[in-house]
Amino acid sequence: MLFNSYIFIFIFLPITFVIHYLIGKHEKHGHTLSHSWLILASLFFYGYWNFSYLSIIISSIIINFLITHYLISKPHTKIKKPLFLLGLSFNLGLLGYFKYKNFFMENMNLFLNSDFHFTHVLLPLGISFFTLQQIAYLVDVYEGLVKKTPFHKYALFVYFFPQLIAGPIVHYKEVMPQFDDDKNHRFNIKNINLGIFVFILGLAKKVLLADTFAIWANAGFNHTDTFHFFQAWGTSLSYTMQLYFDFSGYSDMAIGLGLLFNIRLPKNFDSPFLARNIIDFWTKWHITLSQFITTYIFTPLLKAMPKFTFTNSMISIFITMCIAGLWHGAAWTFVLYGALHGVIIIINHIMKKRKIKLPKFWAIFITFQFINIVFTIFRAEKLETAFNIFKGMFGLTYFKIPKGLISEELILKSGAIIGPHMNNDQNLNLIFIIVSLYIVFKLKNSMQLMQEFKPQTKTALFMSFIFVLCLFGLNRVSDFIYFNF
Amino acid sequence: MTTEEIFNQVSLILKNTFDNNEIDLNHETSANDIDEWDSLSHIELISNIESHFKVRFALGELQDLKNIGEMVELIKTKI
Repeated sequence: MLFNSYIFIFIFLPITFVIHYLIGKHEKHGHTLSHSWLILASLFFYGYWNFSYLSIIISSIIINFLITHYLISKPHTKIKKPLFLLGLSFNLGLLGYFKYKNFFMENMNLFLNSDFHFTHVLLPLGISFFTLQQIAYLVDVYEGLVKKTPFHKYALFVYFFPQLIAGPIVHYKEVMPQFDDDKNHRFNIKNINLGIFVFILGLAKKVLLADTFAIWANAGFNHTDTFHFFQAWGTSLSYTMQLYFDFSGYSDMAIGLGLLFNIRLPKNFDSPFLARNIIDFWTKWHITLSQFITTYIFTPLLKAMPKFTFTNSMISIFITMCIAGLWHGAAWTFVLYGALHGVIIIINHIMKKRKIKLPKFWAIFITFQFINIVFTIFRAEKLETAFNIFKGMFGLTYFKIPKGLISEELILKSGAIIGPHMNNDQNLNLIFIIVSLYIVFKLKNSMQLMQEFKPQTKTALFMSFIFVLCLFGLNRVSDFIYFNF
Repeated sequence: MTTEEIFNQVSLILKNTFDNNEIDLNHETSANDIDEWDSLSHIELISNIESHFKVRFALGELQDLKNIGEMVELIKTKI
């Protein structure tokens, strides 16, 4: 079920919400019943897409729970390490089979010139997210950080529907104490107001901005001819904005929904386009993934190196970023996406070491250009498409400047071609890009707005207006980009 | 060791790791307040602290160590 659908907003959410608080009011001891209700609702939410996926997600948590439960109960067991490795292989195997099997077989056929026949497996929704969360839990159990946890609490930690499909990736330490807290099972009007506010902000980002940009981005990326300057920039910027509003909108909605149940989910975005370098960018973009990657991939990798040197650190960063790229999907474009990030982060670290600092404006400007370029690679199904767009962006094809934008004399003097007047669609695209650039560079982000939030009549009226606008947009229901990862 | 003693030693290690003596530290200082303190130097800092105090941190504790106060408390429980 999508957050931005009528059935979710008007049927699933109200029913889940009301029953949750009714149970909370009547359950005297513990929270087994109220947790079980949320688990059931979350499974329904998940199974609504494809019933057969349920078997995967259910077996995944049962196996993880059995292993971790044993490790917690018998911390000094002789089979501690083998059991841990078994759990790790199980999770990686699940991810490998469902996510990378097709890719592996295709590449094997390509490189070995072989012709193995294999059945294509469909990617179960959210598998990358719920697997990561469970790997982190498993590692922490192995290192003795986790106390005994009942099954319903573990299941809710993985299944809680606001973050099940596309994050924010949560650490059990952040949410489990909240599940236990008695007062979180009682109706809290402050959190509910705040939750509705953030949910609508996210919904607006998704429905009004991301889905609109998607039209231009899709048209651009499906275009196979050469791109001229304006068209290339329009396409790449449209996608960059689409990706940001889509994913940060999803995270806002998740955080808002969490608050409706008195659960504070971690923030996932913090004005990423204001980053001054790519190291900085990863502390502001998909924050919960960067934390996971730093903690559970980069650190053990670096610690496994024979010595802590600058070169070894840089090698670890590069490998980590390639893995991070591949996590997004089984394709070479994603590996390239990760590798490019790795290279720029290394350059940033060298600059940092030599104390080279760019003026703020240029630092932000250059970082944004880099992000726009790598996002283009991220979106392109074939590298060729991305390169076609780059050729256009950097004027390697031809400049076609629409009539009426600047004087014709100037256009001809500069050697460019005069194109037809911009049509309504192109005008609208330009306006959307300018407005969005203003939003991402100048306005407060949703997490800052959330901190300053005060329930007032004018805020309520304004948000209701936005909500109604969004409802009209729900007719063109679309998936979220990060559902594919 | 008292909290204050641990704090003083941590401050010294931090200044040495980041090669900057002018860093102003208190219990509330966190990674966000110090330019040099990024995810890379964090690991260097942690391994220096680990070898100085002869303690070991679990991976899952690393995020909690991005704040001096919490770091000092955690070291205290381990030594």
